[in-house]
Amino acid sequence: MVEKKAAAAAEASVLLRRRLCDSAFIFAPLRSSPDGNYSKLKFLISNSITEACNNSVLILGPRGSGKNAVLELVLEDLRGEYQDMISVVRLNGLLHGDDNYGMKEIARQLCLEHGLLFSKIASSDDNSRFLIDMLRECGLAHKTVIFVLDEFDLFTQGKQRLLYGLLDAMQSLVSQSVVIGVSCRLDADQLLEKRVRSRFSHRKLLFVPPSVEDLQRLVERILYLPADFSSPCDFVTEFNSKLGKIFVDKKFKDVLGSVSNVDGSISNLLRFLFRVVSSLDLESGLLSLDNFKTASLSIHRHPKMENIRNASILELYLLVCMHRLEVKEQNSYNFNSIMKEYKAIHDAYKSSDCRGGNACLRAFEHLLERELISFTDTRRGGLSIEYRPVKLLVSPHELHQGLKSYPSCPVILQKLLNHETYK
Amino acid sequence: MVKTSVSELPKRTTRSCSLTESARKQHEVQETVEPLFPSVFSNFLFREESISLDVLLQHFPGRRSQVLEILQLIGPLNSPMIPLFVYGGPSTGKSSVVTQVFRHLNRPFVYASCCSCYSPSILFQYVLNQLFLLTKNLRNDFSSSWSCERASDFIILLKDALTQFVSVVGECSDKSDLKQSTALGDGKMIYLVFDNVEMIRHWDGSSDLISILFKLQDLLRMVEVGLIYISRAGPNCYYANIGSTEPLPIFFPDYTEDDLYEILMRNQVNPKLYSSFLRVVLKPFYRVTRRLDELSIAFQPLFEKYREQVSDPKLLPDETMNRRLFDNIQPHIAPSIDEIMKVSSLQLQQDNTGKFSNEKRSAKKFHGNAAYDGLDFHMSLSTKYLFLSAFLASRNPPTLDSAMFDSTGGSSNQKRKRKSSEASRQEKDHNLQAMLLKGPGSFSLERLLAIFQCITYVADCYPERETLDNQMYEDERSGATSDVLLQLSSLCEANFISKSASCSLEGFTRYRCTVDEIIALKVARSISFPLSKYLYRG
Amino acid sequence: MVSPYAMPDPSSPLAAERNPDRDLQPFFVLRKPEPGKVVTTEATHGKARRKIDLSQLSPNSRKPSAALPFEEDADANYEQLRMQSFNATWSKIECTIQGCLKQMNLSLFEEVRGWIYESFDKIKSTGLHSVSNTLCPYPLLTDGIYRQIFTALILTKNMEFIDDLLTFQDLGEHLRSSGCHIANLSYSDFTVKHGIAGCFKSLLRQLVMVSLEAYDITALASWYCQKENNGKPVVLIIDSIEQCYGPVLAGFISIIGEWVIKIPIILVFGVATTIDALRKQLPSEALQCLNCCKFTLPSPSERMNAIVGAIFAKPSLGFSVGHEVAVFLRNYFSRHDGTITSFIRALKIACTKHYSLEPLSFLSRIMYDEETEGTWSIMCESLPVSKLEYAFDLPSCRRDSLNRKSGSEIAQGLFDFRRLWKGWTCVLLCLFEIGRISKMQLLDIFCEAIGQTTSDVHSSNGSSLSSVTSQKLCHASSQSAKGRLIGQAIQKVREISPASLSSLLESWAKHTKDIDEIHSKVRQLQSLLRSVDNDGASIFADVEDDGALKVNEKAAMLMKQIVEDMLKPIESIPFHEIFFFKHVGVLRSALTGDPRKMIQLDLLKSPSYLRCICCRTGDKALRPSMHDTSILYHLAQEHGDFVNLHDWYNSFKTILTSRRDSRRKVKGSSTPQKASAGPPTSDLTEASIQARFCRAVTELQIAGLLRMPSKRRPDHVQRVLLGL
Repeated sequence: MVEKKAAAAAEASVLLRRRLCDSAFIFAPLRSSPDGNYSKLKFLISNSITEACNNSVLILGPRGSGKNAVLELVLEDLRGEYQDMISVVRLNGLLHGDDNYGMKEIARQLCLEHGLLFSKIASSDDNSRFLIDMLRECGLAHKTVIFVLDEFDLFTQGKQRLLYGLLDAMQSLVSQSVVIGVSCRLDADQLLEKRVRSRFSHRKLLFVPPSVEDLQRLVERILYLPADFSSPCDFVTEFNSKLGKIFVDKKFKDVLGSVSNVDGSISNLLRFLFRVVSSLDLESGLLSLDNFKTASLSIHRHPKMENIRNASILELYLLVCMHRLEVKEQNSYNFNSIMKEYKAIHDAYKSSDCRGGNACLRAFEHLLERELISFTDTRRGGLSIEYRPVKLLVSPHELHQGLKSYPSCPVILQKLLNHETYK
Repeated sequence: MVKTSVSELPKRTTRSCSLTESARKQHEVQETVEPLFPSVFSNFLFREESISLDVLLQHFPGRRSQVLEILQLIGPLNSPMIPLFVYGGPSTGKSSVVTQVFRHLNRPFVYASCCSCYSPSILFQYVLNQLFLLTKNLRNDFSSSWSCERASDFIILLKDALTQFVSVVGECSDKSDLKQSTALGDGKMIYLVFDNVEMIRHWDGSSDLISILFKLQDLLRMVEVGLIYISRAGPNCYYANIGSTEPLPIFFPDYTEDDLYEILMRNQVNPKLYSSFLRVVLKPFYRVTRRLDELSIAFQPLFEKYREQVSDPKLLPDETMNRRLFDNIQPHIAPSIDEIMKVSSLQLQQDNTGKFSNEKRSAKKFHGNAAYDGLDFHMSLSTKYLFLSAFLASRNPPTLDSAMFDSTGGSSNQKRKRKSSEASRQEKDHNLQAMLLKGPGSFSLERLLAIFQCITYVADCYPERETLDNQMYEDERSGATSDVLLQLSSLCEANFISKSASCSLEGFTRYRCTVDEIIALKVARSISFPLSKYLYRG
Repeated sequence: MVSPYAMPDPSSPLAAERNPDRDLQPFFVLRKPEPGKVVTTEATHGKARRKIDLSQLSPNSRKPSAALPFEEDADANYEQLRMQSFNATWSKIECTIQGCLKQMNLSLFEEVRGWIYESFDKIKSTGLHSVSNTLCPYPLLTDGIYRQIFTALILTKNMEFIDDLLTFQDLGEHLRSSGCHIANLSYSDFTVKHGIAGCFKSLLRQLVMVSLEAYDITALASWYCQKENNGKPVVLIIDSIEQCYGPVLAGFISIIGEWVIKIPIILVFGVATTIDALRKQLPSEALQCLNCCKFTLPSPSERMNAIVGAIFAKPSLGFSVGHEVAVFLRNYFSRHDGTITSFIRALKIACTKHYSLEPLSFLSRIMYDEETEGTWSIMCESLPVSKLEYAFDLPSCRRDSLNRKSGSEIAQGLFDFRRLWKGWTCVLLCLFEIGRISKMQLLDIFCEAIGQTTSDVHSSNGSSLSSVTSQKLCHASSQSAKGRLIGQAIQKVREISPASLSSLLESWAKHTKDIDEIHSKVRQLQSLLRSVDNDGASIFADVEDDGALKVNEKAAMLMKQIVEDMLKPIESIPFHEIFFFKHVGVLRSALTGDPRKMIQLDLLKSPSYLRCICCRTGDKALRPSMHDTSILYHLAQEHGDFVNLHDWYNSFKTILTSRRDSRRKVKGSSTPQKASAGPPTSDLTEASIQARFCRAVTELQIAGLLRMPSKRRPDHVQRVLLGL
């Protein structure tokens, strides 16, 4: 019975993880909403397919708000409706931001799409000419070419020759194609040159982060196991009822609220849920409220704090010295002045652990590596590390917190930090 | 067979990753993959047999929670995952934990360290080569058969490789043949592990590459691919480039003292002795550094010293014994904390204590040439003078030159200096502060030569010097412009003087003497030059 | 004719091409001028050469009138002979030098080899070292201690790196011969420009011997997995750590550190100065990857001793240097640049000069083919009258009045000289042996030995000798220093322990083999010492050691005696000029020719070089016909070190347009713009004057005498007066 249950639990967790990683599943409900971005976008594209006209649209919204997911949904459905009347060309600003390579990539994908042989050595002029021809051909064949430009803002760096070429080619009557720009910069259209912007239709679809209720609904939708789950159905019922209890719980709402307050985007929620699901223990096979709590904790991190807690005592000493120097309005300082301060401290309080220069220098390098401090200058010729000016990357408050939470931190350090007036 | 067919492609076209070719590679690999199964797929797996969870956990003392967390997030068989971001300080066991976890899971994975792959194209090749099952061999001149400089090409190839892999795995897991599945490892997932991601930030054009790496999930759109990034720098360093699917952070804190104790105690021949040793040394060292590698390297020679007293390695130390050993080791701890680099030498194997004592020893060892007392390398006389003048030039403020080197040669300027220093104290320590900050100042060639001639002249005034036969001394003088420039260049080569890059034809080159006072004093002593007289001490 | 700035000297092409590396490469590495200065040195090159031409006649003792005709009518035959004997001699000298240098390094090389294999075994003992592991793409699970790279720090105890370029090549060869994989990397592989790719490139080029488009370490790994490569240590030799670019080196080390378990890589660093250099170069991160062990090459002075012992105490070479030259060489070594390379260079120049200046120098071969005395005497008799006269005109012969001048006389003299010199050198060798024991600089002993001539030279040298011997170069008073060293040496004999005494006697016996009476004496001493030892074993210690003392005393007495009667002042023996190079002036001008000074002086008296009619009258007045550049330089003399361009130009113009004498002719000059001096001053347009002004200024700038106007003072050029 037990191992049966365990197996079921494992199965369940796999299923849930699949759901979490499958954006189509997540965003499926958007299909139903009549005035959502989904239907707008779908209408727009299908319109330009049926009307055989050119069109262009920007999809804007913060990261992880499901822009691409929705777009994929739309394209999927359109493929279903008009099988071979559309061909999709996907570009990514990161990869094809460079105009020539962008053109090349377009040509490559078009070739791939239409089974033509793609020549690598074709010049970008050839490619753009090829693009124009292809567009005309497709237009004559009543085939719509949909260009998806992900990271749209990156295409606007440089000369924007790609965008111009693309939109200019669309000016010709016969072609029928849609340019869809996806970007997380809300001012993406402001980045366009005049000649490009004039050719660009200013349709924008804005994605807003969902409300907490939506998130809650989404959570329920993801986590509830389907009734037809292939395992003893009592497990499913047990699982779901447990979930139901959790969802109505006040604490759960708080957790969910805290998560969405940090980052309300759906992807953040998914990460949260992923941690929850992966921490599902296979014995009981049930999710508990603690799972949610621990997950929410492990999502919030304070790297600086962690780094301070990682530091050794000596490194802490150096940090404190730097802090004291800053308090003394010493605008710029380097390792030597820090060492001076360090020695001064040790002369003041006859503390046991006063280390020599080498050890301190190594600790200094460790701090640099931990990125608690950094050089303020670019490398100057032949000047060794001791002389290069540095600055703290942690605020006094953080330093204070860090020392507080540091296990077995010497009291003298706290004192030094607090009594800044000590000269 | 794969190798040959791919290596036959001429370089010119293999650079290109055109559709046709990648397709060709793909089906080649697919058709040839059947015979090669075990050899091929063992590339992705550990050669050692997989280990049980307990073994894994006791491999890594103090890393239990991290190991378990990773296992949870990677999840059961065939379960997709959100990318992981494993971060923590150096030598906290990130890489080893991850690789050993895969050994435990016995699932296929691809590992690439951005440290040894020091440029994008090499990184890409490294990954692709593992994926495309190309072991390099003489046939293709140790070169991978393609080189893709551009990330876009990399993505295309990567996609090909992964789809191909997935399909192969899929079909042979369908006909669930036992031995094949063992050869394959378990599950349909393949994991890409990128180590030392923080190194990429120092490459040129890094930001794009980093964000591409972090967006692989979106770019590939393959559920069967799991991504794991290992980095020393925390996630806060990457916020700028992390894409929509931000990876899940897993933090490896530095080891605590107990962890370190436990780790260091592993596989010791005489644990009792070693533990007593650790009880002595660990605490002071721990206050300085918490890095395992540094500690273990520092402890090795110390323990040698510690053990010298003990006659037989098996002996179990009692209380008195420990005390004696403690008294014996105590004096060595502080110096060995402070030393960074140990240099042993065959002549005296047993003691290696820091570099300064090293110099002393070497000086002792080569009493043969007492010419360089303390200074354990040879410099010609005028080079020494030039060296000293460079040192002075970069330590003294230029304004004081006239005061320092008047015709009376440094004998009288003592008082003058003292007077000036007494005149304004805060101005003095302001100067000190400035020197502390700016470091050695830079100087022009003229100033260097002026000082050089001053001190040679002054040295001439000393009673010992006038016994020098004049003719030779003439040489030195006349050589002042020709040879001095050459000796200057060789001083630069010896890294004593750093030269600011500028057109030396223009003559605006500035020099800076970067040696510390110890060496300078040694040199001065070796020619009995009163350096301190000329050195401006704020 | 040798100029200080270009080896190989044209006069000895054979020698030059026999070993190009010794001649060219180290020299250029040492004396690589800064990019801008190239022009200067080149510019002086010609003039320095001319200078030496002039100086070459002045310093030597012969009357130019007597010397010149010989220079002229030295017929091809004797020229030929001299050439041959030069080549023969120099090749001998060179071989001996090479030999003893190699010998010195060999022991160290052996040490390094042993250490390398030791650490290779350590690496293998980790048991992780197998082909499958080498190819394994992910790091192996090990302790940090195994991640360390074994590193040999080889201290070349010389700041000038030049002497050790070849050393590291040799080390590489030595190790390769004992079955290691060797890659010699130089500092030029660790530059900012090429980054890590640079060093991997040259590394793979040397080991894998292919050129790839991407140089990564996996190529090395897969290469190492080949059957024929596997199971040997991979040794990377990096000379002159100081010059490497730190960050790149650090990156390189960190990469190697990742792979060191999979590929047994062992590093060998050449450290020129101190071990601190490494600490300054590398961050602690990289340093702790290194498991260092240090070795020490013989210091320059030790090498120097070896060379001196090998060269100057060998009459069979038929070439040696006179006292002044010796002193000069020593000082040049200790003062100017303490590199063996430059010492050898100086020696070579001396040798070349000797054979090119000394008409009878071909006779020096008499020293090293003994048996054919007959042929030599015949040759001497067949000497032409001019040569005979010259020979008997040599100062040494003039001193003792030989009246009848015949070839046989010369032959006889030469044979005597040979005999005397043999004795002389064998005493010298004995002294050297003592010097070796008591850590003296052999070159000083040599200087003193050869310096035993008239006392005036002596005192000055004595002092300078002492100044070197009391290793601070300048701390001892001259009087006490007189005849110091040899005295010390003999004194030393009294003090040394019986053991070293016996070894000393042993070596003496070896040296004095062919001089019987001394040899027998030495033998007696040895037997006496032996007997003392033997019965010292039987009877009391005190007896024994006073017996030993007795032996010491005897040995010292013997030494004293042979020094007195055999270490004759060599420079008073007839015909020694034939074998001894004495023109220190030539050597000095060749070695420390002072380029900057030369330029400036030459600019000041350009007319004396371009011998034009117009300037023949000796007055120093500036003429428009003079070389523009020199005119400008003259004018600049009047200003301070900042020259106002406007005034300068005006005075230049006034000079050009002054019609003091209108007869001008185009002078055959080195510089192109003399042609532009063609048109008479009357139709000198403003433009052309400005053009000439600009060109002249540029020339001065290129010669490094001027600095173009700075931001602060746009209307002034600055004169660069380096120590003039």
